[in-house]
Amino acid sequence: MNDQLQDIYQSMQWLMPELLLTSAILITLFVGLFVTKNKHILLKSISLFVYAAALVLVALQEIDNPVSLFGNMLRADDFSNYFKILFLTGGFLTVWISQEQKEKNSTEYFILIQAVVTGSCLLVMSMNFIMVVLSIELISLSSYMLSGFGFDKKSAEGSLKYFLFGTVATACMIYGMSLLYSLSGTLDYSSETFLKNLLENTTPLLLVGGILTLAGFLFKISAVPFHLWAPDVYEATPTPIVAFFAVVPKLAGLAIITRFTLAINLFGQSGFNWQLIIAVIAAMSILVGNLSALAQQNPKRLLAFSSVAQSGFMLLGIVSFSTEGIHFTMFYAAVFLLMNFLVFIALNQIESAWGAHLIPAFAGTGKIFLIPALTMLVGLIALTGLPPTAGFTAKLLIFSSLWAGYEQSGSLILLFVFIVGLLNTVISLFFYLKIPYYQFIKEKKRDATGLRISFAENLLTILLAIALFYLFLHPDGLMRWINRISFVL
Amino acid sequence: MSHLLSYLIFIPFVGALVALLIPANRINFFKQLTLGVSIIQLILLVLILSAYKINAGVQLAENIPWITLQLGSWGSLHAEYFVAIDGLSLPMVALSVVIMAIAVISSWNIEKNHKGYFTLLLILNGAIIGSFCALDFLLFYVFFEFMLLPMYFLIGIWGGPRREYASIKFFLYTLLGSIFILIVLVASYLSIKDPATSNEVVHTLNVLHMQNPDNIIPGSLLDVDTEDQYGPYSFRMWAFLLLFIGFAIKLPAVPLHTWLPDAHVEAPTAISVILAALLLKFGGYGLLRFAYPIFPDGAIEFAWMVGFVGVLSIIYGALNALASKDLKRLIAYSSVSHMGFVLLGVASATAEGAGGAVYQMFSHGIISAMLFLIAGVLYDRTHDRLIANYSGLASKMKSYTAFVLIAFFASMGLPGFAGFIGEVLVFFGAFQSHAINGLIPIWMPIVATSGLLLGAGYFLWTIQRMFYGPYSIRIHVPELTDINSREYIMLLPLAVAALLFGILPQLLMKYINPFASEWVEELFKHASFFNP
Repeated sequence: MNDQLQDIYQSMQWLMPELLLTSAILITLFVGLFVTKNKHILLKSISLFVYAAALVLVALQEIDNPVSLFGNMLRADDFSNYFKILFLTGGFLTVWISQEQKEKNSTEYFILIQAVVTGSCLLVMSMNFIMVVLSIELISLSSYMLSGFGFDKKSAEGSLKYFLFGTVATACMIYGMSLLYSLSGTLDYSSETFLKNLLENTTPLLLVGGILTLAGFLFKISAVPFHLWAPDVYEATPTPIVAFFAVVPKLAGLAIITRFTLAINLFGQSGFNWQLIIAVIAAMSILVGNLSALAQQNPKRLLAFSSVAQSGFMLLGIVSFSTEGIHFTMFYAAVFLLMNFLVFIALNQIESAWGAHLIPAFAGTGKIFLIPALTMLVGLIALTGLPPTAGFTAKLLIFSSLWAGYEQSGSLILLFVFIVGLLNTVISLFFYLKIPYYQFIKEKKRDATGLRISFAENLLTILLAIALFYLFLHPDGLMRWINRISFVL
Repeated sequence: MSHLLSYLIFIPFVGALVALLIPANRINFFKQLTLGVSIIQLILLVLILSAYKINAGVQLAENIPWITLQLGSWGSLHAEYFVAIDGLSLPMVALSVVIMAIAVISSWNIEKNHKGYFTLLLILNGAIIGSFCALDFLLFYVFFEFMLLPMYFLIGIWGGPRREYASIKFFLYTLLGSIFILIVLVASYLSIKDPATSNEVVHTLNVLHMQNPDNIIPGSLLDVDTEDQYGPYSFRMWAFLLLFIGFAIKLPAVPLHTWLPDAHVEAPTAISVILAALLLKFGGYGLLRFAYPIFPDGAIEFAWMVGFVGVLSIIYGALNALASKDLKRLIAYSSVSHMGFVLLGVASATAEGAGGAVYQMFSHGIISAMLFLIAGVLYDRTHDRLIANYSGLASKMKSYTAFVLIAFFASMGLPGFAGFIGEVLVFFGAFQSHAINGLIPIWMPIVATSGLLLGAGYFLWTIQRMFYGPYSIRIHVPELTDINSREYIMLLPLAVAALLFGILPQLLMKYINPFASEWVEELFKHASFFNP
């Protein structure tokens, strides 16, 4: 009893950032109830402050060895801290660019974002299926509501669709976990019991359980074939929220997939070829995402399919099942955060100033909104994976990991995804250039007097663009940090 | 003075940055800025030429570590900012500087969005020179890719009526080529180690290290003893093929050339000039710098194929030129034909052939620039390029006709012009190859000679149709005027150069020759490593 209390007490210390986020939810709720004047600004400031403070708390945590919390329900390690920094940055940027909400909804808006970030932080630390389910549901339930924040018919449709798909995915996942539990006798997927029992019980049920569990995670990162919700939800949701959805829950899903696949792969001794399964999903996501994006006329639907393809690219880093591959995926994740936010912020600025919703309506905006259009071009070039942006470096590293994996193991599936991934860069260029094409090349005269985006508003996109250039010129710093992250299951 | 090449590469980028900060209504400033950058580059070029020592191999080198990444169990990746010049890159760099200066003058009458145009032109300038100087594969690739985006916008925004189609086609084709190159880049650097480090494996992308078979990690996929076969070929053969396809798209070689006529027809004059005179050269340059030295065994195995594609391009390009109704399209196809000679020369793997290929690239740079400027002069006046719409221009535009004759004769390969030297050397090499190394059969150069005849055919026929006979033009334009002083400034230096390098080939050959003979020697030395 005393030991347990001691454990809980000590675990709490590691949970400071999450506790801060949780208390922020309560504070926001109370402030929202009692303050009526300048509510939006006040709540926004609180949110920004909380994310910044939580960032500092995470950065201050020094973790030499992974720490087991609450009887190994959670685990604090470098890996989870790295992702937490990405989530908190994502939350910060989302709140920063959020426009004024309708007065009565702004409280919920900030609370829901905080809830998703909290859920994501908990998810990357989860070592126990129960914790995984709870965190994923915290993310999902808040996301369903957030996607309805357009308050129109379309938004409601998107939200409902997301909800229906999401609940089915969660149900599959829980069913899969229960099968794994029945085989392994433990919910702690990092424990030796889990590995030992699964090694002894190689039945097809293990495959079914693993795939069903993965399905729930893959739904979160909108990988094929669990991507169908993405275009509808992205289209109907306010742009800052889409930017948020495309990064934070996705990276959280990616982190848990990394941990889970390493566990289920049983150090390469599994009777099933998990490499093949992940590789096929990654290749399918890249292909389907890119090919579907070609036909889109709505920028948000286009970016939805692009994010499906990007999920595929990030999965490619895991496919080689090497420490380096996972390190490169983490590098890619950071770059993805920067480039995706850059594109969405610029898109948001142009959309709200110009009032356009379809890509052809962007004709001629390149001249009027030069800086947002240029920075968006940088972001899109980075998403394509062309130099001189960090998007190129990230793809180069991922492909290096595939090649090295292929050289070591001779597994042809790695060679296959290597080629599929690289050739898809050409396809993706075609649709990524679609928006700049209308902005700069198509001409359209339209009166643009009074339409200006101030320098202060442009500052953020300029900073993000510079970060992408900087990480291209000097990836060493970030990689050195990532390389220090020891990855033990 | 030790950073001459870096100045040459980065001054345009600095210029672009300055241009971005200046308000868009100061049109003249952008023109003067770009011209100023070109003048500084010309001065730097003179300094580089005076500092360059013949017979001293790679020189003026600047080597700074750029990316050093720990890759855990695979050692580490080491990419360098490594720029230098040798007998191959010096002619190309000189050509680039001169052509860029002429392109700026030719852009003087651009009609819209000056700020964007000249900024992109400056970026393109830096990227082109950077690619020619880079001796680190990754650095080369980065500059090489970085050329595509400015080019896409330059064609797409300032081009002709079908510019949108042409620009995206250009981008997609050349990006596909780059992806093939990237595949080889990723696949090969993990097999190559830096010789300087012994205890830890450092993967390097330094081209000089990549060319040396001693640096290949034993047992890796690039190693000659690796027995893995992929279909009919080993990995090394595939890597050579991928590089060849990648650079052949850029060259462009038949059947990968279809982007070129579209891009040329739609691009504004100055961009056509840069495209033909400089960008196409990366095809030949890439083969000479990367594909052949890194994979000499592949080069020997596939010499027949390279030669055949060259001959095919010569003949097919010439036939298409003969059938072209549009003047610019004709010139574009003549480029395809002339770049075929580069392939033939490279394939022969003789000192004459390789030297001839470099000479041909240089002379084609001068002559094609002139040809496109000539087409531009006419288009500026009439906004029409159909050959059938003109006749008897000689009576109205005397100086213009003189320049056209010089350019056409030079392009035909008439003795006394630069084009002649390149083609003759290529033929020397190609005919010898049969006896010296047996790489390409004797029928290839024989068939290729018919390309010269066809070349004479389409150029002379064009002269006859457009310039001789009674004056008439079938479109409504005000009175045609002869070339003005700005056009003189662009055309005269090129005409002089075309003659000068035709009469005094030694001016250029003294740089190229040492490179070409060493290149061939190394090629066979390294090839014997793989096929003892």
